[in-house]
Amino acid sequence: MRWFLPGLLACVLAQAVLLGPLSLGGIRPDLFLLLVFLVSQRVSPEAATLLGFLVGLFQDALSGSPLGLRAFTDSLMGFLAARLSHDMYTDKPLALFWLLLGGTAAAGGITLALLTFFLGPPPLFPALLWVIAPEALYTAAVGLLIVWLPQLRAVLARAA
Amino acid sequence: MSAILRLLARYRRATILTATLVVSFLLMTLQVRHETAVVTFTRQALLFIVSPFIKVTAATVRGVSNTWRDYVDLRGLQEENTRLQRETAILKRRIDQLEEQALETQRLQALLAMRQASRAEFLTARVVGKDATNWFKTVLLDRGSLEGVRRNQPVVVPDGLVGRVVEVTPTSAKVQLLTDPVNAVGGLIQRTRVTGIVSGNLGAGARVRYLPLMADVVGGDQVVTSGMGGVFPKGIPIGRITAVERRSGALFQEATLQPAVDLNRLEEVLILTTLEANAGREVGTSLGAGTGFEAGNGRRP
Repeated sequence: MRWFLPGLLACVLAQAVLLGPLSLGGIRPDLFLLLVFLVSQRVSPEAATLLGFLVGLFQDALSGSPLGLRAFTDSLMGFLAARLSHDMYTDKPLALFWLLLGGTAAAGGITLALLTFFLGPPPLFPALLWVIAPEALYTAAVGLLIVWLPQLRAVLARAA
Repeated sequence: MSAILRLLARYRRATILTATLVVSFLLMTLQVRHETAVVTFTRQALLFIVSPFIKVTAATVRGVSNTWRDYVDLRGLQEENTRLQRETAILKRRIDQLEEQALETQRLQALLAMRQASRAEFLTARVVGKDATNWFKTVLLDRGSLEGVRRNQPVVVPDGLVGRVVEVTPTSAKVQLLTDPVNAVGGLIQRTRVTGIVSGNLGAGARVRYLPLMADVVGGDQVVTSGMGGVFPKGIPIGRITAVERRSGALFQEATLQPAVDLNRLEEVLILTTLEANAGREVGTSLGAGTGFEAGNGRRP
């Protein structure tokens, strides 16, 4: 938990400034959601919900979205991730990848539903093709890298 | 009372989840229906907290990348290239300006003589941050209300229109880009004077909607701001038509548009801080084309 606030600040800076050159077709990984996922593995569902809410508010403030859009999504995803953490947290990279992929896609689906409710229906196919699918893939790949890189280094160090 | 508290404590988990979801939903509702002081204050406070860090990081990144580029590149060639690019941009701007002026002169020669010259004031700003989601297209600038930035001020670069200011803190401002899905700008096909609405979409580029079915629109046509709406000066280049779609049974035709400005590579922009009654036309022509912004679907947060 000590690293939550530094992690949030790092996410803000990376998402707003540093990830620009790494965007693929204008799509960047959702580091805020990754932070929520990772924190949720280590705290209670109540805390995960509140932290998700806080992370979402910052994401909304840095975006053109209505305040509360990502707060809603991130608090719900935080709750679910924490609630299911025993089943979710896995040592198998492929399983983790699919988990992150599914979680990010679900978050995208909730965002799409809220946007449809508040701002009118965005075109479904472009939303799936240009935002939800690539964002989920990219986020899952980056999440896998973040989680597995330290472990991989440890394994390599042991092998050496 | 104590029974309710006991009940809430017992179902603490569900209570907290419900409360956060309801608060989020209320915030969205308040903001979408009308901009309330609570929502505006919260947004600005959050932005105010992080914007100094973003500015410092952006400045560091810029400094490091500039140092690296200067080290790697041949300095003389780079400077020459930059100078030539700037000259090309100025010449392009001048050509657009002359085209628009010539067309305007033909139609409004009598009125033109009566027009009083007026000036618009620009403020230069650096782009320090980008949108934190993939659903919207906004950028963060390093200038705020302390320097005279206000909501709805147009933002341009020498190549054309960038967007408009939608949120301001004392030291930073958020700009909604032309390609944001909830943005909409009154556009004018420069060749045929047909008007339409330019709006962003979730993919790349933008679309021109509500073009009359029989209107003469072809690929390559330049689109400029129409001046209707009173936010943008008339004639600012928006982009070029890349394809026209005429669906059978549709009341209007639509076109895809390639923005005149590469919105993914924005670094410095100009904010039009003063826009008097006639200043719009002056600004538009000096940028290569004049003002028209219809504030999206009216529901922009």
